Amino acid sequence: MLLPYMRELGENLHLVLSFARRDIRAKYKQTIFGVAWAIIQPVSLMIVFTFVFSLFARVPSEGVPYPIFSYSVLIFWMFFASCISQGTVAMTANATLIRKIYFPRETLLLAVMISASADLAIAAVLLAAMFIYYKVAVTWAILWVIPLLALQMLFVLGVILITSAIQVYYRDIGHALPLLLQLWMYASPVAYPLSSVPDWLKPIYLLNPMAGIIDGYRSALLHGTSPNLVYLGTSAVVLCVVVGGAYLVFKRAERTFADVI
Amino acid sequence: MPPVAIKFDSVSKEYRLRRRLARAGKLHDAKDDSIFFALKEVSFEIERGETVGLIGPNGAGKSTILKILSRVTVPSRGSFTVRGRLGALIEVGAGFHPELTGRENVYLNAAIMGMRKREIDAKFDQIVAFSEVEKFLDTPLKFYSAGMMVRLGFAVAAHIEPENLLVDEVLAVGDTAFQAKCLNKIAELKEQDKTIVLVSHAMPSILQHSSRVLWIDHGTIQAFGDPDETVEAYLRTVHKHETTAGADNPSVVPDSPIKIAGVTVFNANGESHASLTYGQPAYVDIAYTVTSPIEDPVVSLTFHDVRDFPLGGITSRFDGVQLDGCLGTSTIRLVLAPVLFTRGSYGVTVAIQDQRIQRYLDMRPRAATFMVDGPSVASREVSGHWVLPHRWELDQRGAA
Repeated sequence: MLLPYMRELGENLHLVLSFARRDIRAKYKQTIFGVAWAIIQPVSLMIVFTFVFSLFARVPSEGVPYPIFSYSVLIFWMFFASCISQGTVAMTANATLIRKIYFPRETLLLAVMISASADLAIAAVLLAAMFIYYKVAVTWAILWVIPLLALQMLFVLGVILITSAIQVYYRDIGHALPLLLQLWMYASPVAYPLSSVPDWLKPIYLLNPMAGIIDGYRSALLHGTSPNLVYLGTSAVVLCVVVGGAYLVFKRAERTFADVI
Repeated sequence: MPPVAIKFDSVSKEYRLRRRLARAGKLHDAKDDSIFFALKEVSFEIERGETVGLIGPNGAGKSTILKILSRVTVPSRGSFTVRGRLGALIEVGAGFHPELTGRENVYLNAAIMGMRKREIDAKFDQIVAFSEVEKFLDTPLKFYSAGMMVRLGFAVAAHIEPENLLVDEVLAVGDTAFQAKCLNKIAELKEQDKTIVLVSHAMPSILQHSSRVLWIDHGTIQAFGDPDETVEAYLRTVHKHETTAGADNPSVVPDSPIKIAGVTVFNANGESHASLTYGQPAYVDIAYTVTSPIEDPVVSLTFHDVRDFPLGGITSRFDGVQLDGCLGTSTIRLVLAPVLFTRGSYGVTVAIQDQRIQRYLDMRPRAATFMVDGPSVASREVSGHWVLPHRWELDQRGAA
């Protein structure tokens, strides 16, 4: 059922890259700081968090300096948030195109993810510098970031396949998103460690896929521990099924995008 | 018989006008939904190598057909087939981004239209040469003039080289020289046996290019056949529609001392509501009523094409004619001798102005419409809306 769609998408990979190039080039044109914005955003949040959570509220940071404790996962959270917010409006932002020309619409979503990845890569350069500055030991466990990132991307794709399609019909979701993302961040262990979450709450808390993923990044990067493989594997399988289903829903809705957008 | 390139098999497309949310909330019964049929059971076949003109009033279903053909939307019922790759010259430059340079936009737009990187590389120079914007290739598009953008958009679209091409109202873009280039490109595609579907409100361009014309109205096919006959049948309905609408147009000036009472067009045989003939005389009678004495009013006539584009006008002052200013109703007649319009449908707007031709005393937009039987632009031997009085002189040296 998915195969014809995937084949068509495969034939349009160059279009994905063209859209991604457009998004990346256009994002920082006519700005003074240019790509520096990719670093400024997570750094400002890191500074705010350091003051509020570390200095004032004295939130524990698992024995790591709080700035790197928060920044190491903030960049992945920012990647998540920008994929979700830009992915959700990807169809409506390209409404004139969708009304006039046919192309597989999911190319716009993949392009958003690629352009957000570029920001992530830039922000990661500063993380490397912080590793040196704070003399954090680098271990092989750091490679766990790759499967974790793949898992996160799969999750992001599943979410935006659905939200971008809903946004075409009901713009409410676009209005609700900034608030939802804010709440979502506080429901994930970005500013505080997972260990601060009371045990009785954990079963519910961990239903949020981002909770496990964010904690996974931090363990792999700062503590050199590998993530729970069973958890990782199950998540991967579940996500694959969910994304497949979301893709079908999206392709079904796509046919009448032009009529309602 | 050449193979079928495009086929519609009882295709219907309906739109629900009520918002879905209201329905989901059960605020309205599903039956209350006003359903709008954009297309109703439309079936037709277009053979390979044909150029088909698609005509009809706004909202008739023309763009729905184009949208279905280009896969932007799907039919509600029925099926359609398109053999071979399909390209669309619809809204040229829809995929342009203002912050990117001309070069980047060529690549982006071509990719959106389905071209591969390698294909674009191979045709890039051709596209740029066609667009005539070489000098500004590395300038962001937002600094381009509207004309430059359109040229660049058309240049990209014209180089997709699909087997089937949809052209929507793009022949009217750019300056005259660029238009000539576009027309040559279309002629070239025709020679290559490509199938072209042409949508336009400009009947001359439909007539010049189409081998058959498909007339659609209210979502159903009214006629599909000979360009001249179909266009004429279509124009006749437009014409009928507008004469009735124009009759009870309220006056522009409410308390004017002079009013237009009626405008009638007669052909050479003195028949009203009949076609005029090219080369024969015709008469426009303007009846007007004077309710209080007025000094030296001026009557003016402006002729329009079917889309109300003014073609030219005359005033009684230009010819030094004085209107009868007596109280009561009088008639003034304009004699067109001969009629020089090409075949088609025309309208005339009549106005009465003050002696300095500055203030309107009364005006009747589209006071009358009429059809003209004469040389057709479909023959490509004449163009435009009228043929100027003229003769040819041959250099006699060859004979001597």
